[in-house]
Amino acid sequence: MTFEVEVEGRIRMIVIEHGDNPSSFRVQIDGEPGVVDAVRAGDKSLSIFGRVTFLRNGGPEKGTLRIGAAVQVTAGPAPGEGIVHLNGRTIRAVINGRRRRAAADEGAHGPGDVVVAAPMPGRIVRVLVAPGDQVTARQGLVVVEAMKMENELRAPRAGRVKEVSVVPGASVEAGCVLAVIE
Amino acid sequence: MRVLIANRGEIAVRVIRACREMGLPTVAVYSDCDRAARHVMEADRAEHIGPDEAVRSYLNFSAILDAARRSDADAVHPGYGFLSENAAFARACVDAGLTFIGPAPGAIELMGSKTEARRAAMRAGVPVVPGTEAALGPDTAEEELTAIAADIGYPLMVKAVAGGGGKGMRVVEDPGGLRGAIRTARSEAGSAFGDTAVYLERLLPRPRHVEIQLLGDSHGTVIPFVERECSIQRRHQKVVEESPSLAVSPALRARMAAAAAAVARAVGYTNAGTIEFLLDEDGSFYFLEMNTRLQVEHPVTEMVTGVDLVQWQIRIARGERLDLEPEQALTPRGHAIECRLYAEDPDENFMPSPGLIRGLRPAGGPGVRDDGGVSAGYRVPVFYDSLIAKLVTWGNARDEAIARMGRALREYQVLGIRTTIPFFLWLMQEPDYLAGRYDTTYLDRILAGRQGPFVEVAEEDAALAALAAALDVYFRAAGAGGARAVNGPRPLWTQIGRREALRG
Repeated sequence: MTFEVEVEGRIRMIVIEHGDNPSSFRVQIDGEPGVVDAVRAGDKSLSIFGRVTFLRNGGPEKGTLRIGAAVQVTAGPAPGEGIVHLNGRTIRAVINGRRRRAAADEGAHGPGDVVVAAPMPGRIVRVLVAPGDQVTARQGLVVVEAMKMENELRAPRAGRVKEVSVVPGASVEAGCVLAVIE
Repeated sequence: MRVLIANRGEIAVRVIRACREMGLPTVAVYSDCDRAARHVMEADRAEHIGPDEAVRSYLNFSAILDAARRSDADAVHPGYGFLSENAAFARACVDAGLTFIGPAPGAIELMGSKTEARRAAMRAGVPVVPGTEAALGPDTAEEELTAIAADIGYPLMVKAVAGGGGKGMRVVEDPGGLRGAIRTARSEAGSAFGDTAVYLERLLPRPRHVEIQLLGDSHGTVIPFVERECSIQRRHQKVVEESPSLAVSPALRARMAAAAAAVARAVGYTNAGTIEFLLDEDGSFYFLEMNTRLQVEHPVTEMVTGVDLVQWQIRIARGERLDLEPEQALTPRGHAIECRLYAEDPDENFMPSPGLIRGLRPAGGPGVRDDGGVSAGYRVPVFYDSLIAKLVTWGNARDEAIARMGRALREYQVLGIRTTIPFFLWLMQEPDYLAGRYDTTYLDRILAGRQGPFVEVAEEDAALAALAAALDVYFRAAGAGGARAVNGPRPLWTQIGRREALRG
């Protein structure tokens, strides 16, 4: 089975095939082969041992991954997104994201639009911009109050405010569109 | 004695644990969204007290007193926050025939006013930060304000009389900023505490925040404890505490403890309380305020003294004599550190991260204490503060406690929401923290100057994460009868997500 997995902004091709015994797998990371022993330990935990070669920064330099790890994997907030926990780190992994993004881009907003959505449920305290405003990257757009704190949501990049979807006092759910930058 | 805990989260769980060890039955209270919260599940019984909004549940006197009546409770423990420093609530408990596990209402009232508390400290012969003795009148003339401020000296702080938690506080660097700072502090204090009164205080440039825990019984005994060092603060909120402080010698400890006890005696204080001091670089210290309740960071004191402060709160409330050895309270055995695990994303400027906890495995092993308040399957609500657990480690010496903290943070798993664990992993390796070179301005200064994630993901970890994610989907596909997914797996996490969404 082949997967396209995006981690830390880079896509890796992962191939997994059954090996010689039930917990043994032949794997490839970006075409480099290896063998791992992997079992599921409960709904969210994987125990993985083994040795795999991989390309550093996409190659040509190779590294060896000596694995002896208990890894937790849970579903992330977005479709196809998983959260991998290892050694106190939380790492986002997106499976086959390019295909999904291509489909999403045909959606409601234009190809250059960036949607700013509420990362958590809360109440809108202030709206700092109006449609038509030019904004710079990291400029504050909307202030949302949640968990007794005021949080300023900022523009992910520079652009023009195409749409502001909320008013002060409104309650929003996680994922609710607050503004669109074009 | 049946104890109703008028609180939620980790502190409610902490109080339940103390009661259980003493053989006392417990009653939890809960709002709508907290029905399945850990404190509710761990109590012997639980009473619903209202909707999600704290003002209509955890801050609602009559709902809580009704719950006490319905459940036949004899005593109320207020925890910290919510109604813990509300003198009217303490009085209402007493009037309803309940034992309030805390100080007398009069002491809460007196020390709740920062200006009254400053006067009490001065009467006890304890130095206070130079500042105005009373609240500024609402229509103090401009020239008079300028003169008062010049007398105190710049930089100075405008502070709310009813203040706490960093609200209603403004720094003024020079005379030009005075009026504006007073105006914003008044307005913030008004909305946060319903009281617009403010006063002025000189700003110490690089102070440490060092506090003395104490217990007082109703027979006149007051026992001060070894200090807690609480200078690691983000926007005036403590995030790491430890005991003892590297900046406090045994001689200074004795002086600070004596000063704290003198303030407590001067106001006839009973039960648990904490005197907060600012410690200047030259070793002089100033009374800041008194917290008339149990503190969030009380576990570090318990870890280095072996004294259970919550059990003592209950025993004192029952009228028992405080028969602790004063030496035991004042002599630290080893070193303890506490990290406050918040449901916040440190890599997104500490944005709140409420939501469903899909998996939880606290750290354990030698020298580790987890004061947790949540469990797997619980949805962290947006209505209350974001503290989900306090992770405390103990070591014979500070470096051992720090090494254990690093190990425990790596062990601690919270799946489904973001937490401040990566931030603490970073902090526990910062040279200035390791060397103990810090004051209350340290964390905000160093955070303002840094960028990027708190825990860098090495190339090896990224490759392993990609492999693990692929294996997880592969296993799920195989488990679901999977050949279907070969070479073009449908995004299984989507399906899993959808199934859960339908369950609603």
